[in-house]
Amino acid sequence: GLFAHLEMLECRAHRESVEREEKEQREEKLALLECRARELRLQRDELREKLERLEKGGGAGKAGMAPDPTPRDVLEWRLRSLQALLQLFHLTGISGKLSRRGVCFTLSTAFGNSHLDSFHLELLLHPQLRIHRHSIPPFIPLERISREFLPRDLRRFLSVLSQHLNGYAGRKFQLEQLQEHFSDRIKGIPRQNSLCNLLTFEYGLSGKSRNFPLRARLLYRDPCRSLPTDVEVSCASDAPAWLADTAAAHSELFRLLPLHGAFQAFPTA
Amino acid sequence: MDNNVYQVYEDEIRALEEEIKLLTEKYEDIQQESTFYSEEEILKSMKSFQREMQGEFKGHECPSDLKAQLESLETDLSFLMKLTGFQFTSHSKKTLEKTGDRTVQKHRLSGNCYSLSFQLEFQLLVTQSKEKVSTVVTDLSIVMEPGEASNVSKFVSSIEEHGNLVTFFRSLSTYAEWHEHRRCTFLHFK
Repeated sequence: GLFAHLEMLECRAHRESVEREEKEQREEKLALLECRARELRLQRDELREKLERLEKGGGAGKAGMAPDPTPRDVLEWRLRSLQALLQLFHLTGISGKLSRRGVCFTLSTAFGNSHLDSFHLELLLHPQLRIHRHSIPPFIPLERISREFLPRDLRRFLSVLSQHLNGYAGRKFQLEQLQEHFSDRIKGIPRQNSLCNLLTFEYGLSGKSRNFPLRARLLYRDPCRSLPTDVEVSCASDAPAWLADTAAAHSELFRLLPLHGAFQAFPTA
Repeated sequence: MDNNVYQVYEDEIRALEEEIKLLTEKYEDIQQESTFYSEEEILKSMKSFQREMQGEFKGHECPSDLKAQLESLETDLSFLMKLTGFQFTSHSKKTLEKTGDRTVQKHRLSGNCYSLSFQLEFQLLVTQSKEKVSTVVTDLSIVMEPGEASNVSKFVSSIEEHGNLVTFFRSLSTYAEWHEHRRCTFLHFK
């Protein structure tokens, strides 16, 4: 009786103390969060005001906002300007950074006004200019191009490699655009090789019909170009004459326009 | 029940931190883009900065990260300009729009490639989605000198229409080299 009763009281006291502690912890945590939120709100409001003053005051005057720039201010400004210039080189297609034992190039690609993937290439300088590491896909003839131009003509090497990469990236992009915007007109998924220079697919004239009477085969013999050199659009031998005419017309369009551009240009059925 | 209260505060804190980051970037962008220091001022600042650093460390090897970063960038840029033949003579950038996932910048760039000079103006739209960053060029306008040659003006119009900067610079490089080669050959025979 007594012993059990004492045990029960002890348990209850323990439980109550734990609960009290937990409650204190919760309240503390809440207070901390409240405090932090308040701090941040203050900081945010200050920044908003600062920004408003800056925008209203106008950016006129060469010393900008710092009325008395310290040498460090000037140099930090210079650092950011140079970083911006380096970013620009990225837009030109060839950018790089010197390293201790060589140079790391970044080759960027674009199709139309969209910038696409970038590829990296690390070259060592000693004893001779040679490739160390890279992220060039295996179906790009890197070995052959480097044998032809390195070590004597780095510029041509990069230029030719860039052309191959841009050709590939451009073809891949067109295919992605085609699938993104015209998947309803194509039967299944177009068949392509890894270099994206051989493409076959069956397609229809309108998105509504489940009918894909035309078959296109596009071959891009020049790996540096993003338009096909050989185009074949065919239909069944017993197809009506107008379909055969359409196939011929489409064939021309595929030769002249990017894939998704050609589909856009098709007169709607 | 209590967790809800935490969640509300934590969400607000996260949102505020993001907003602060954005506002700070905007502020720095505007400051950066509306300021200009001449080569002279930069050199002067370099000297003062070095003196300051040396003073602080009293002649010992002073660990100046800023100086090292600047030198490294200048070396890289000088290397690239020599390799590609592109000498950028002036560049100005203005951030027109900046939100959490979208930035619009307006760029003005002048430079030359051998004896050909160019002036570009374009806008850059950078969109950030979950997995990737997409960069798109718009409103591209190009002025080239000499630009009267019909092949050059046709080339410029075509690039302005498609907006492919990579094609522009790669082709410019090839053409400029050929042009230069021709010019030197011609001079040789004069």
